[in-house]
Amino acid sequence: MIYNLGILISWLSFSVLIYLFFTKSKYRVHLLVRINLFLQIFLFCLLEIGLFLNDFSVSYIANYSAVSTPPLYKFASLWGSLDGSILLWNLCLSIFMFLYLKYYKIENSNLDIKIFSFITIFFVGYTVFSSSPFAGCIELAIVGCNKSTLIPFQNTLISDLGRGPNPLLQNHPLMAIHPPMLYIGYVGMTLPFVAATSRLFKRDQSDDWIDVAERTTYVPWLFLTIGITLGAAWSYEVLGWGGYWAWDPVENVSFIPWLLATAFLHSSKIQKSSNTLLNWNYILIGLMFLSTIFGTFVTRSGVLISVHAFSNGNIGTYLLFGLTIFSLLFIFIGSKNIEYFSGSKKITNWFGKSGFFVLNNIILFSSALIVFIGTIFPLFYETIYDRQITIGRAYYDILVGPMLLVLLGLMIFSIKLSVRNINLNSWFNENSNLLNLSLVIAIFFLINLNNSYFLVVTVAASVILIILTIKNMVKRIRITDANKTYWTGQIAHLGIAVFALGIVLNVTQSYSTEKEINSFQEFEFNNTSFFVYDSIEENKPEKTIIKLPISNEITTKYTSLNIFRNSSQQAISSPAVFRSLANDIYITVKFIDEDSYKLIVRNNYGILIMWIGLFISSISFIPRLKKRV
Amino acid sequence: MYKKYLTFALISILAFVPQFLPDDESRFDEWSKSLLCPVCQGETIYDSPSEYADDMRSILQEQINNNMTDNDIYEFWVTRYGEKIITNPIERNYEVVLIPLFLVLIFIYVFLRKLYVKK
Repeated sequence: MIYNLGILISWLSFSVLIYLFFTKSKYRVHLLVRINLFLQIFLFCLLEIGLFLNDFSVSYIANYSAVSTPPLYKFASLWGSLDGSILLWNLCLSIFMFLYLKYYKIENSNLDIKIFSFITIFFVGYTVFSSSPFAGCIELAIVGCNKSTLIPFQNTLISDLGRGPNPLLQNHPLMAIHPPMLYIGYVGMTLPFVAATSRLFKRDQSDDWIDVAERTTYVPWLFLTIGITLGAAWSYEVLGWGGYWAWDPVENVSFIPWLLATAFLHSSKIQKSSNTLLNWNYILIGLMFLSTIFGTFVTRSGVLISVHAFSNGNIGTYLLFGLTIFSLLFIFIGSKNIEYFSGSKKITNWFGKSGFFVLNNIILFSSALIVFIGTIFPLFYETIYDRQITIGRAYYDILVGPMLLVLLGLMIFSIKLSVRNINLNSWFNENSNLLNLSLVIAIFFLINLNNSYFLVVTVAASVILIILTIKNMVKRIRITDANKTYWTGQIAHLGIAVFALGIVLNVTQSYSTEKEINSFQEFEFNNTSFFVYDSIEENKPEKTIIKLPISNEITTKYTSLNIFRNSSQQAISSPAVFRSLANDIYITVKFIDEDSYKLIVRNNYGILIMWIGLFISSISFIPRLKKRV
Repeated sequence: MYKKYLTFALISILAFVPQFLPDDESRFDEWSKSLLCPVCQGETIYDSPSEYADDMRSILQEQINNNMTDNDIYEFWVTRYGEKIITNPIERNYEVVLIPLFLVLIFIYVFLRKLYVKK
């Protein structure tokens, strides 16, 4: 039932989109966009219903959900694997298309909706032709389903038990929000792409392309920021390795559009104020969009292996095909506008606003380039030299680290940027006390905590940035003519400074030890004594949890081992985290015997500070909510 | 005016202090942070809580206790697991850093030339 309905409705939605692509009537455009949105919402609900009803005749449900899966993770199973997440992708696209039509539509042409529906056809087409979460099961596996069909009304086979989601994906509630946030961020990058390409297709159209592209970038940027943050938090809370960012390919490909979008949010302002960088902005808009598809291709086609990779044979070629078509469209429209772009003005004041923003763009784009190269380097090596290499943290530390430090420096100047050049002398006179203070703090850090030089300079820069930004906010927040965009930027920068401080603390101060211990014993760590109780075994339908309570005189937390049924994967160990502002005591356990354990105890500094920083950056949109006067 | 001298003095201290500080990262930490745990997904043996990483750590500890040279340790791991196990290939393959740097420089050149300074 769900299988047939799902496939038929997918076809219907596909046909509606084709019709939308060809129609000329304005009225029909409005109608069809709404119908498509309705159908996609319906498909989403349909798959959710299937998941909750345990309809194992649907291959996807049999493979990625189980009777015993708890409701929250059943709900999240919809995006727990490739086909389902494409469904979510389609829903996001449809919602964005509706919102675009409502708020940003070009008045005298349907071209933007044509481009938008073209992109949507491409993704909906995948579920229709290649692989759908509604495919019916026609060959059973031992658990779950082995083979499925996209043709409706076939005889389906029903497995008794579902295979259940990947254990890693059903271990923390963040799993229910982190992927949708990221998807909204990814899919949202379509908005500026459509806005810019359609408005530039015919040059008689208005010059508001940059304006619309900028406004539509805020939403995906915000969701990408939140999504990446939640992913880092999830990694920290669930994976038990004490870290939050591994420069894993999937993390990298979410970071690349973020860097590009951040660059664009800055350079668009320069274009608006001085009519420069037109061509550059167009390139950024295109790359933002193409990088999301490229990212999905790299991580979903199985060419790279990572924690997140759920690969599938078809999607690689399909996405590569799409990537080519969209790139050609982008290049074609760009080449039509070469004359217009060459009217872009020259920048004169290198030490004024535009100079700094250009520097910002160079750095952000170079970082994106470096992350991109680092991600595909192993692939490159294998093809060219037939050698397998791993690009680890050191590569990014050396290449991206210094860039981000220069960015911190630039943010300090952004507080008081004017179109004119900055007078460095007067800037220095005004802020010399602060500069000296932060230098003293930096030297203190360097001597007392014996840190790397680079990290110390980061501390100095973030301290001065935080103090200056807050001082500036307190002084000027009441001035009503202050510009909304300016304050959005300032809040985002403040968050980044706090975040940088957290990272520095984390990278330099954290340490770990291993303790072998028996039940009802005490151990000492970081001047606190911890008491270990006896382990408790807890049986849930989907898993067995072996919990070890540990108490630090104030509270008791559990560190546990989760053993999932229906899964051949290793048991997942969840940490007990004793959190304070400065540091987390992060304990994971290995069970040796009945009542003896090996604890890995980590003292992770700066984690909460990092989350606070990212939270501040995420709420930077608040000044923009204020009504225009 | 004295403030400027103060700033200058402080920057000089900041620049020279690191020369006198010992490098406190132990060889063991350095090595365990650069060896990939082959059964885990992209974690080094320093990070990974798995049994496998545990075993690798104890072998590494032994090697360090026996004062094996960096080269010997490198050979040991690479012959067993292949080059893939080294997460920090930079020290032996400069091109891993040089290629991206070169591309970045090309980008900056093109950006400033073609896209930005327009006549």
